[in-house]
Amino acid sequence: MSENRAFFRETVERILADTLDQNAIEATERRAFPAALYAALAENGVTQMLVPEDKGGIGADIGDAVAILRAMGAAAAPGPIVETLLGYKLLAEAGIDPVEGLIALAFAEDGATTLHDLPWGGLADHILIVTPTGLRLSAAADWTVTPSLDAADEPRDTLTNGPTSPVTPCDTSAALRTAAILRAGQILGAIEWTLARSIDYAGERKQFGREISKFQVIQQMLAELADHMLASAVLTEAAAESLTTPMIAAARSRLGDAADAAITTAHQVHGAMGFSREYALNHRTRRLMAWRDDYDSVLAWRRALAGAFVGCTREGFWPAVSDAGLRAAG
Amino acid sequence: MSATTLHLDLPELPEAAEQLRREVRAFVAEERAAGHLPPPEKIGLGFDVATTKRIAAKGWIGLTWPKQYGGGERTALERYVMNEELLAAALPVGAHWVADRQSGPVLLKFGSETQKAFYLPKIVAGDCYFCIGMSEPESGSDLASLKARAEKVEGGWRINGRKIWTTNAHRVHYMIALVRTSTVEGSRHAGLSQLIVDLTLPGVTISPIISMAGEHDFNEVLMEDVFVPDDALIGQEGNGWNQVSAELAYERSGPERWLSSFRLISELIDTLGPDARPSSLEELGRLLSHLLALRQLSMSVASMIQRGLSPNLEAAIVKDLGTKFEQEAVRVVRNIVSSEDLTANGRNARLRGLLAHAQVYAPAFTIRGGTNEILRGIIARGIGLR
Repeated sequence: MSENRAFFRETVERILADTLDQNAIEATERRAFPAALYAALAENGVTQMLVPEDKGGIGADIGDAVAILRAMGAAAAPGPIVETLLGYKLLAEAGIDPVEGLIALAFAEDGATTLHDLPWGGLADHILIVTPTGLRLSAAADWTVTPSLDAADEPRDTLTNGPTSPVTPCDTSAALRTAAILRAGQILGAIEWTLARSIDYAGERKQFGREISKFQVIQQMLAELADHMLASAVLTEAAAESLTTPMIAAARSRLGDAADAAITTAHQVHGAMGFSREYALNHRTRRLMAWRDDYDSVLAWRRALAGAFVGCTREGFWPAVSDAGLRAAG
Repeated sequence: MSATTLHLDLPELPEAAEQLRREVRAFVAEERAAGHLPPPEKIGLGFDVATTKRIAAKGWIGLTWPKQYGGGERTALERYVMNEELLAAALPVGAHWVADRQSGPVLLKFGSETQKAFYLPKIVAGDCYFCIGMSEPESGSDLASLKARAEKVEGGWRINGRKIWTTNAHRVHYMIALVRTSTVEGSRHAGLSQLIVDLTLPGVTISPIISMAGEHDFNEVLMEDVFVPDDALIGQEGNGWNQVSAELAYERSGPERWLSSFRLISELIDTLGPDARPSSLEELGRLLSHLLALRQLSMSVASMIQRGLSPNLEAAIVKDLGTKFEQEAVRVVRNIVSSEDLTANGRNARLRGLLAHAQVYAPAFTIRGGTNEILRGIIARGIGLR
């Protein structure tokens, strides 16, 4: 583990405390970009953290990025943070000149001129498309935008009539795996916040003359949510270190179950209060709904995970399981 | 403790652990080649003295214990790796399992020098097996209500009471019984003690309890005026509850909590082959993600034990998740077998037999060693709810 990880996380937590409150989150629901947050992230070098040092970045590892994304997910931080971190990294590694401004990141087929449901597509300056043959970078102004929103009311726009820009080779499957594990950090952070808030709320809310945390049924529900959280946390951390397909697939699959449980249990514990727009829970649970199937769906990752093991013999299956976390050669 | 402190560090497996993994795999291959593995349609910890003796000859019982008692002075992570390899291959390790996992560590932590010098080398040699005498007919989840008593007499203790669900009592040498030795006003947990009972002593009657899976693993152990000497007492008189609580992290977090039906999944994968339907891959992938999470959890808990911590909360989480996973595995395998039509017309008898056995065995997973509802009560306390 990187020795700077705690420092990165503390830096981002401080930035979040300084620049993000519920009003700022709600403002993004009217297609307003959280400019103060991103300016502070850029000023502190966070947006360049995955860019190699010799290309002017910090050269942090994926585990470091996952650690700060957990903090951002817990804070329900809006905006294209995964796209920014990964976009700058991909550009730098492909030897493309750095760009100024916001990047929207799409995974699409070769030659695609329509991009569906692209996060922050309509507010970005640059559109970076990862295709099976490589990267294509274009100016956002060259696309026609049809605005739309995701469950968290963040932009998921459809872009049409795009230009055909030159292709620069890149490791497409590694880019998808990286996007998936970065999104995993945000999902995990939102689940962690949701569990912690639900535990606190159960200790505050009184019914039948006592705190609802005193009821066994509430204790059992939240204990199961704690199970989900811890299981997906250890798997996400391990996947962020190993970066193998089976581990990342396993983390996203496990987080799919944990996110479902977090949404259901947290809202049930909160009762009617959690269903109000005013109470902070919905900003996390709606993001879990929006994020759960990003950079390949939970079901797609389950097929990928099983696909890594089917064909094993009964004797060969266990060695394959116990080696799943070993870093792939190269 | 609260949700914000619920965190496990990622363990790094030392090279010594990977070296040991290779040695255990070589041993497993020899055992398989020699036909020593249990019948292919059975799940659960098999009990086989010859296997235990061969494992002991490798120096793999008491792997973490001090050398002065015959132990290997290796790390908890190495022990974890050895165990996952043995369990995944379904080696019948049941004879020494409780002594190695639980009874030995309790003696090391609380036992007298005499006890350690007497029992531990025998356990390490594969010659001395233990069972756990906790549950009683009227005391299951509410363990502190137990009624078995030991009364102080000249030179020792006289025990009367009844223990139940004692796995392997009919084929092991000793039981560590939790009994009441004194009454403390206002505390049910005080006044309990742990005593080592030689199961061949006069007054001990062991009767079989046949499980719904048709097997004889459980017993009822009746103790009528059983005399044990003073040095049968482990640790302090009256401190039994605390000592038992310390055991539970060992009992709850190990790979046996999620690997006891592993061969069912292996058999499915072998039978299924590479061309499965998308819906089967989705069910199987979900199951495998839970398996990989449990493996990370178990390794992390082993590394906490290594650092001298008592991860009782995390261990309860492993057992709650692990046992639910094992039941889920039966459901998933059954669904895939059905959807892919794998066992119709007498095909794949081995998978069919294993599934049939696992299905009737599965209700025990979430009960043995503490019901999941009790575990979740422990988890709830750990995260600050009670």
